[in-house]
Amino acid sequence: MALDISRFIQRFVEEAADLLPRLREGISALEQGRADREQINELFRAAHTLKGSSRMLKLVPITALSHSTEELLSALREGTLNATPPVTSLLSQAVDGLSDLVSRLADGATGDELPAADEALCSALESAAQGQTPTQPNHSDTPTPTTPSSSSTPTSSATLVTENELRLSDTVRVRLDRLDDVIRLMGEVLSGHHHLHGLVDQARELSATLPTEQQGPFHAFHHELKDSVLSHESLMSDLHDRALQMRMLPLSVVFDPLAHMSRELAQSLGKQVDCRVRGSEIELDRQMIDRLSDPLIHLLRNALDHGLELPAERQSAGKPSRGQLIIEAWQDADGVVVEMRDDGAGIALDAVRQKALAKQLISEEQLNALSEQETLELIFLPGFSTKSMITDFSGRGVGMDVVKRTVVDELNGDLQLASERGSGTRFTLRLPLSLAMMRVLLVSVGGVNLGVTAPYVSELVECSSQSFIDAAGQRTLILRNEFVPVVSLAQLLELPATTAATDNTLLLVVHQRHQKLALVIDSLIDERDMVIKPLPVHLSYLPLVSGMVSMGRNALVSLLHVPALLEATRQNAPRPSHERASPTLAKRILVVDDSLNTREIEKDVLEAWGYHVTLAENGRDGLAKALAEPFDAVLTDVEMPVMDGFALTSQLRENELYRYRPIIIITSREKEADRRRGIEVGADAYIVKGSFDQNNLVATLQALLG
Amino acid sequence: MHILVVDDDPLAGEMTAALLESQGHEPLLANDAMEAVEQLDTHSDIKLIVSDMHMPLVSGLALLAMLREQDNHLPFILLTGDTPDASLRQTPGLDACLCKDAELAWTLEAAVKQALDS
Repeated sequence: MALDISRFIQRFVEEAADLLPRLREGISALEQGRADREQINELFRAAHTLKGSSRMLKLVPITALSHSTEELLSALREGTLNATPPVTSLLSQAVDGLSDLVSRLADGATGDELPAADEALCSALESAAQGQTPTQPNHSDTPTPTTPSSSSTPTSSATLVTENELRLSDTVRVRLDRLDDVIRLMGEVLSGHHHLHGLVDQARELSATLPTEQQGPFHAFHHELKDSVLSHESLMSDLHDRALQMRMLPLSVVFDPLAHMSRELAQSLGKQVDCRVRGSEIELDRQMIDRLSDPLIHLLRNALDHGLELPAERQSAGKPSRGQLIIEAWQDADGVVVEMRDDGAGIALDAVRQKALAKQLISEEQLNALSEQETLELIFLPGFSTKSMITDFSGRGVGMDVVKRTVVDELNGDLQLASERGSGTRFTLRLPLSLAMMRVLLVSVGGVNLGVTAPYVSELVECSSQSFIDAAGQRTLILRNEFVPVVSLAQLLELPATTAATDNTLLLVVHQRHQKLALVIDSLIDERDMVIKPLPVHLSYLPLVSGMVSMGRNALVSLLHVPALLEATRQNAPRPSHERASPTLAKRILVVDDSLNTREIEKDVLEAWGYHVTLAENGRDGLAKALAEPFDAVLTDVEMPVMDGFALTSQLRENELYRYRPIIIITSREKEADRRRGIEVGADAYIVKGSFDQNNLVATLQALLG
Repeated sequence: MHILVVDDDPLAGEMTAALLESQGHEPLLANDAMEAVEQLDTHSDIKLIVSDMHMPLVSGLALLAMLREQDNHLPFILLTGDTPDASLRQTPGLDACLCKDAELAWTLEAAVKQALDS
């Protein structure tokens, strides 16, 4: 008799729980244009693995959806297709669909009970794979039959349990109140310990009253007592930290259900939404997470109900029919920021005004005195949300006033609102840092230990100091296709410079959104999860420090605030002198590059030589700017999203004005084939970033401009 | 007497092994082609190889070619997550090419029997 391999379903769920987040990460890398070949391969393999195992387990809908996903990934892998936004959106929808199916399995559904795969989505994926412009699958046509998970037979879960009973989990469940008790007791023990310090001091005073011959042994006793008290103190505070850490949970425990909920809500409202979640790995105290979930659910309902338009409305407004909802968290100077933003209709100021007047929340005179932002914030007034506005979804009897109060009073945070008519609404929750736990990279510079939280860290690079280039007086590192300014962290913080033992420089590359900075450090100490403590009040004015972590025995380490470091570098950067510029030489140059750093650095170099510089961030942007006003020369990168440098060059050459104007390609591609292609599309010069020399660039430009 | 199962996906590998075990064989597992070669070196009593097709670095077909080149002529059954096309099925030196699906329990049993009997 053939073996029933359905006992492997639990294993499949575990495997999928490992693969799906990797798919999500890979797709978000694709979206941001930072996925390389190997990552696309990995995505393909993940989908292929899901297909293979689900097929053996006869999980037909999962096989079907992963097969269609694999087809699309295969086209990306073979390069017959580019990862355009419609393509990555389809892939995200596929992962959403797979997650939903897998979570049904996890809830105990059997293969036969799974709803059929979304046919519209499968065929959209497959036709996209064949190069047809992806059309968004229309869900309203094909309602997916859903089987209530309650219909799963108890026997199936019972067999699962017996199959797994020998595998012990490496976690234990503890009732929260017991954990809270432990934490409270730890706090008391810690504060009670201060009493022992007092006793140590008393002992020292007593020793002074003793006859001289007895002072020696007593002195030794006092020392031993003091040492023991101190070492216990460090152990205890460590224990307290650990106890607090036990209560930390990743934000994913609220974010993941929110993403799931958004899809279901949107469907029931006849709307379409892509819900993206970022930063869910950041951990917060369980108590804070508990209280955060209600306000977030309310904001989500509000965004789907009032923010996002119906697909038809969106299309007639020239937007894609699927709305974007982004829930993102990151660590900031003084806390964790949670942001929820949609690309919906925004808040109608007129409607807000009328409503506030009708509710008599404000007089007409007061209203007229309000700025637009202040008018928007009227929605937080108690009594603003009323029954006429509350629908089944955004209602639940809670108004925006309650959301704001919860965030401000209970969580000690802050809630901000920004909205632009027609392009969306953004709610920003700022939560205090106390108890936040994050991955921290510890480094040493100028004899001081410093920490940087992981989200700001881009990479660590070791390179010879000769590999830096000088760009307009700024030391610069060429990191793949990007110019990154190099600064000495010791210098920036006014710490003593240490002499490097080797010729190699260790660089910590940090970033905030699109801006990068390479900091020269002495050494890397460690990388670990740490509880971040807020700065005490008397230190809170320090702009470059965002918090503290404790390390080892009573040693505190400052956490660097990367946005402030970037700001400080911008201010200190040697500005190019415009004195060399003579008015006759003021030629206009267009610089096209998708890296903010590279654009800025090329701009500095060119301005130092007296050129007028305009910047564009990709080929299409560059083309639009070049056609809007005449430039004397164009400098372009090759690899860029939307339109690359080759395409830009050949399009410019077709234009009367740019047929003979100098176009210089500047890229990290060193291959002869690329160089030839650059010449074929009509570039006048091809400069490789790896051997970049500003004199060479300027000389080339001068020669071409005549 | 062992049957060597080569699959980079541990779940699929174990499922295949479970099928073989239920059919009275003694399966051995390898995660990739390199491990497969190691297993072949340590166990002299392997009588048949069942390998996945898509694996990183060395694919199932490449493993087959490598073995045949080294004069290893053990029966070789290829598994694939896709529906195998004719050219793949007719690869010289291959005893069978099966699709990893819910029917594998039967198709694999038949293929193993045929390969061992011939």
